[in-house]
Amino acid sequence: MFETYVMQSPRTAWRVYDGEAVILWPDDSTLNTLNSVGTLIWESADGKSPLSAIVARICEEFDVDPEQAERDAMAFIAKLRARGLLTVSETIQHVP
Amino acid sequence: MVELSIGVAGLRTAVFVRDPDVATVIRERFGGFLSSGAPAWRIDIRPLAGERPFLEGVHVRRDGGHDRFSVKRHDFSGIVDLGARTAEVVLTDPDRVSSDVSIESFLRVVYSLALVETRGLVVHAASLMRDDGVYLFCGPSGSGKTTVARLSTDAIVLSDELSIVRMVEDHGVCFGTPFRGELALAGQDRSGRLVGIYFLHHGRRHAVEAVRPRQALGRLLPNVLFFAREADVTAEVFRISADLVEAVPCFDLSFQPDPGFWEVIRNV
Repeated sequence: MFETYVMQSPRTAWRVYDGEAVILWPDDSTLNTLNSVGTLIWESADGKSPLSAIVARICEEFDVDPEQAERDAMAFIAKLRARGLLTVSETIQHVP
Repeated sequence: MVELSIGVAGLRTAVFVRDPDVATVIRERFGGFLSSGAPAWRIDIRPLAGERPFLEGVHVRRDGGHDRFSVKRHDFSGIVDLGARTAEVVLTDPDRVSSDVSIESFLRVVYSLALVETRGLVVHAASLMRDDGVYLFCGPSGSGKTTVARLSTDAIVLSDELSIVRMVEDHGVCFGTPFRGELALAGQDRSGRLVGIYFLHHGRRHAVEAVRPRQALGRLLPNVLFFAREADVTAEVFRISADLVEAVPCFDLSFQPDPGFWEVIRNV
């Protein structure tokens, strides 16, 4: 069973206001706001926390079932990965 | 070769000019900001009669190194090296009828890049100094920056067009600039602690409403003068802007063209 590790791109900048992350998209310099679940994933994307642990936190904090949480998390991660905001690996990632 | 020293927002620059006419233009345009002391930067300005490139807007791109940026507009072409703290520009207007505008525009770009390492930004904003500090009135052309400055007869106008703000430790400091707006007057070479940022809106009455940092950041960023699009430098501009709106109270200001807006500001 492989684990998945996600890490924020060092190319971007972000802040959390009122529980929601505001991220500067590096490709077009626009601001985008994540909802609270997205913010939890984003803040946890340190390259060291396994996705399973992030999903467990989502289930705990937002009262959703694990399968749904994992599906939604994977879709969210794929979207941010496509924009170059997250990198995904099967091993622990280190800040460059 | 003529050497002039210009100081803006604490950043002193030695400007070297070969053409005495251009030197005269700089003395007239930046008279209030000529200074003495050891410069941190060196800028070489050369006029060159030649074909003017057809370019719309200002193009700033990393070029030949991490710290080197090329800066091009229809009337100038230059290089800014943040590591070496040097810049050179060739003015391509053969008649040099608008050298002052070209030089000022190039300097705006240089300062917008150079200030980032000192946690500073060039902002489209009028800045007005009163006893308790500096008030920043932020907005694009037509939002009322010059009107606010004109109506504030008991305040010192640091700028009616472009102001420089810097984060110093945990607070904001605002500096006047020589960059001209509709008043066609250079600002004042003075600075003070920033006590409020006001985003300008024309309204039917004077009204001030506090703005939370999230919204303030969204309002401030479009008014930051910054032309480079590289992700690392725009990320730094984002961080400085976020620090600023978290440190300084921010407000929406609706106003009519009379000085009564100061009353509602005082009452907040």
